Amino acid sequence: MAVSQLRGQSSGLQYNGPQGGSRGSQLVTVLTGPFDASSAPNGAAPLTTTPQYATYVRIQAHPGQEGKIAIGGPGMANASGSVADSSFLELWPNWDASFDNGRSDTWVLSDPKWLNTIDLSQIYVYPEIAGETPIVTAFQLV
Amino acid sequence: MLLLTPSAASGPFTVNGAPAPIASSSTLVNQVSVKPRLGQWSKILIGGPNLGTDESNAMAILYPVPNGGQADAFVLQDQGGQNTIDLSQIYVYATIPGDSPMVEAFGYQTL
Repeated sequence: MAVSQLRGQSSGLQYNGPQGGSRGSQLVTVLTGPFDASSAPNGAAPLTTTPQYATYVRIQAHPGQEGKIAIGGPGMANASGSVADSSFLELWPNWDASFDNGRSDTWVLSDPKWLNTIDLSQIYVYPEIAGETPIVTAFQLV
Repeated sequence: MLLLTPSAASGPFTVNGAPAPIASSSTLVNQVSVKPRLGQWSKILIGGPNLGTDESNAMAILYPVPNGGQADAFVLQDQGGQNTIDLSQIYVYATIPGDSPMVEAFGYQTL
């Protein structure tokens, strides 16, 4: 996981990058690459540990891996029983490219007005198989 | 600040034998999507209050995803950036009672 360090705009540095609801003029990636949630409680980790506001987020099942990927909110971290039952979406794995011409299942959320309104710290990812790593990309307008 | 946040109505939506609204009271959001639950065998019907179990008045019919591949999905978003979609007016029906399509809804909140 790679997170670029952006200038904090709040006095207490409670978040990095632009404030929620803002709209800048340059699109930058703030989160790219395989995302490892294996050390998080319940195996469900937020995309960022401090609030970070994005305009676009994309999560893709990692080609070649074999587990479903559940996406949801903070309730996944302390869910009892099936963690996926606390999610709002699941991605099917793409282990051998035998379905849909090899396309991976993907979830995309974007703000239609290109505002930085998506708080990445409130989006949790849970790979059904611990250690698997969905591909995450998030963009901010700074 | 303005944030796009998940609706409380998001999550597995269990349908028991009849079309049901995603929310029981008026709930305005910016985006909603409905997908079959991976591994389940229901066709999923989506419509308004007049949705019939015989597929009458369906605005979308989603095929199940029993064994791999991308799930079919119904996605609706207000491109003007407003909360204009009332979840209480969107009904979902699963052809196998007890199946639980996944509902994802996001709305703007000012915090």
